[in-house]
Amino acid sequence: MSHVNVTADLSERNVELGSIGGVARNACLAVGIIGLAVAFLLPVFGLADVTWDIFWRSWLQTWIFVLEISLGAFFFVIIQHLTRAGWSVAVRRPAEVIASNLNWLWIGFLPIVGLLVFGKASHLFPWSDMEALAAHAPEEAHLVAGKEAYLNTPFFLIRSAIYFVVWGVLATYFWRASIRQGTETGDRTTLKMQKISAPAAILFGLTISFAAFDWIMSLSPAWFSTMFGVYFFAGTATCGFSAIIITCILLQRNGRMVNLITNEHYQDMGKLLFGIGMVFWAYIGFSQYMLIWYANIPEETGWFLARQMGDWGWFSVWLLFGHFCIPFVFLISKHPKRNWRTLVFAALWMLFFGWFDVYWLVMPTIPHDLSTFATYDAAAEAYAHVGTGLLNPVNWLLLAGMLGIFTWFTIGRLRSHPLICTSDPWIDDSLHFENM
Amino acid sequence: MSSIPVDPHSGSRMTDNTENHPGAREPLVLNMDRFSQVTQQVCQVAEARRTPMAWYICFALSLGCLGVLGFCVLYLILTGVGVWGLNNPVMWAFDITNFVFWVGIGHAGTLISAILFLFRQKWRTGINRFAEAMTIFAVICAGLFPGIHVGRVWVVYWLFPLPNQMEMWPQFRSPLLWDVFAVGTYFTVSLLFWFTGMVPDLATLRDRAKGKIQQIAYGAFSLGWRGSNRHWHRYERAYLLLAALSTPLVLSVHSVVSFDFATSQLPGWHTTIFPPYFVAGAIFSGFAMVVTLAVPAREMFGLKNLITIRHLDNMNKIILVTGCMVGYAYSMEFFIAWYSGALYEKFAFLNRAFGQYWWAYFLMVGCNVITPQLFWFKAIRTSIPIMFVLSLLVNVGMWFERFVIIVSSLANDFLPSSWDVFVPTWVDIGTLLGSFGLFMVLFLLFCRFIPMIAIAEIKAIMPQADPHFDEHGSDDHEAQEETKGEVTS
Repeated sequence: MSHVNVTADLSERNVELGSIGGVARNACLAVGIIGLAVAFLLPVFGLADVTWDIFWRSWLQTWIFVLEISLGAFFFVIIQHLTRAGWSVAVRRPAEVIASNLNWLWIGFLPIVGLLVFGKASHLFPWSDMEALAAHAPEEAHLVAGKEAYLNTPFFLIRSAIYFVVWGVLATYFWRASIRQGTETGDRTTLKMQKISAPAAILFGLTISFAAFDWIMSLSPAWFSTMFGVYFFAGTATCGFSAIIITCILLQRNGRMVNLITNEHYQDMGKLLFGIGMVFWAYIGFSQYMLIWYANIPEETGWFLARQMGDWGWFSVWLLFGHFCIPFVFLISKHPKRNWRTLVFAALWMLFFGWFDVYWLVMPTIPHDLSTFATYDAAAEAYAHVGTGLLNPVNWLLLAGMLGIFTWFTIGRLRSHPLICTSDPWIDDSLHFENM
Repeated sequence: MSSIPVDPHSGSRMTDNTENHPGAREPLVLNMDRFSQVTQQVCQVAEARRTPMAWYICFALSLGCLGVLGFCVLYLILTGVGVWGLNNPVMWAFDITNFVFWVGIGHAGTLISAILFLFRQKWRTGINRFAEAMTIFAVICAGLFPGIHVGRVWVVYWLFPLPNQMEMWPQFRSPLLWDVFAVGTYFTVSLLFWFTGMVPDLATLRDRAKGKIQQIAYGAFSLGWRGSNRHWHRYERAYLLLAALSTPLVLSVHSVVSFDFATSQLPGWHTTIFPPYFVAGAIFSGFAMVVTLAVPAREMFGLKNLITIRHLDNMNKIILVTGCMVGYAYSMEFFIAWYSGALYEKFAFLNRAFGQYWWAYFLMVGCNVITPQLFWFKAIRTSIPIMFVLSLLVNVGMWFERFVIIVSSLANDFLPSSWDVFVPTWVDIGTLLGSFGLFMVLFLLFCRFIPMIAIAEIKAIMPQADPHFDEHGSDDHEAQEETKGEVTS
């Protein structure tokens, strides 16, 4: 198993994207704009049964998915510096660029801010309009009223702003510093990035946990789970690591980074995707579900009931198999991780199920009359016909739209600087890296 | 690849290997040029004719504590669990606290041998052998407590699903039974891992043994190891497979332990973050115990150049990371207890912090969250006396964490009329003390008779083991060949 890299080609031709990708980049922008525009037209004209409620929920879901991609890549970057990793230098720049999108992704949240400020967000965040909540779900309103010190619009917006500032500043710093590192001699920047990575990791952990509470958990404001932040973290790893793998493979298929990124790197990135993005995710998801199912306390079970009634039941089973069982078997051997064709398939699969997972988190709503049913069977029967809305075009248009713009930005930033930091002190380690 | 930094002034090799030079990996074995020196240094501990006086003193103390354990357990069995301070509603206290504490200590070994191995952390080779040994001894201590707390200890085998004429089975839906499986599997795999990794080193001791008894004992346990190519190949495969098998076990054991509490409906026990939180806490306490033991052991047996300051520095960093994770879990529990709006949930946490066990709670937060923050400073991470004290504090804090979780939730449950206070009896305290005796007796015997450091593994991470190693530009190829040949000797 010795792929010893003897011809490390660090010439511009190999390490700069240059003009290629221009057509793809423009196409992404076109897809992005058209996707968003058409998606916007659906609720305007009431096409495909899309109401504004559905549109904004789908918007939030898609936006969180795209955010997860960047957050996962950001985590990847931090952890490389924190552990003084040598192997990953060859693949770090694409990760930095994907993470750097955190400095503009807040724009996607502005419509939600608008809804909240103008008091139109009660269908999304029921706590934002307590009167409406009290009118149709008095019991829930009673519970949620106790959380008003945390769940209120001004504080919610302040917290969101803090997350965006922390992520934007840190992700931009690591991206820019890495570029600076490529133009200077000495270890100053390397050591500084290493130093900043430790507090950055702590800020990352805290901000994504509370972001998950705010943007996803508070969609069902009566429900709570201490594990929720960790579950969201696992999801970011799934999406981020998949995106890094896909980007690296695309670069290589376009004749860049040849012999710089090797099967050894792919195997390691595959391991990370397998370990954190898949197995750890399943471990957290299982623990959360099992403990709530076993204790069977009504305050907690509603959230899962909403995800197992009607079509959501099959959706949840798909999530289990698609996000864990099937890819677990597929990726456990080293061979599919060392072959770009199988690895890119696995990464695309995982990226899709990362999106699927966010859909499962954001889209279902807990029926307000759940507590009025005498038995579970009665509730399940009453809600047997609840659909998931998965095939509604608005989901796919928004996904295409946001991913298109995301990719447009990413390609643009990849083109502006070399694809690898050639003067990183660990570059030799990375280029001669072997797993065995 | 890394090369050994040379002190520009004296020309001798530096002994401070805690500096970070980007692009170079600092040496993990200090002041050693030849593989045979490693063999000699590690083996001489087991081969020494005279045992250090300090060892005898420690052993006598530990044996005394073990005696206390024996007495307490005997008294318990002959009298009944009433000799403990348990009452209704506090039906679990020191027994299960000790169980969870010891299982937690047992986590560092597997983490070092499995996860750090998969992450290619070469520094693990200096500490893996005795961390794994520590794991096994800690799990033995842990296993004692569920066994003796059942009341009728003579039917303790009912814990296992054994076919019997009464058609009586354990409750498979109970996490307590899952625990039996989880801890049992963990112990078995850890033992196999530890032993498999030790076979080449036992063979080295066998080959060097002078006395008949040593030759037979080491010979039997080295399973006919000859160091042939084929042996090494099989060995490496087995090691990798065991590492892969152990990795999920690092997570599963303490997750299942946490299920004992979290599947219940008791406020303070039932919370979804318990599985990863218990795992982080276990690694935290496990590493603290490794530091507690490594500091005196490297001093007593002269292993400072194999367990270097950098090893300790790295372990202290892991203590800092896991300490932060534990702090995160404490805060999430507290925040969500408030956020949940559940009356009992809120009460359970306020009661923890300000109720009758407030002192235990603040001891726990102080030792587990505040103490490790000192490890942000390198001067503290590399100071032997300070790290020793801090590691002891972490051990204390982690014991109290389990005490707080178990006792404070039980003592003040839903009905104020049934509240009570748990006060430990001398038997409770004697059993806790005695379990340390059991642990230390086993550990000291291990230090004396078994290679404490993985000789073969540590040779593989020396720069001399690199096929491209150039001994400072020396063109004495024969000498190099000779050095390499010693890897397997």
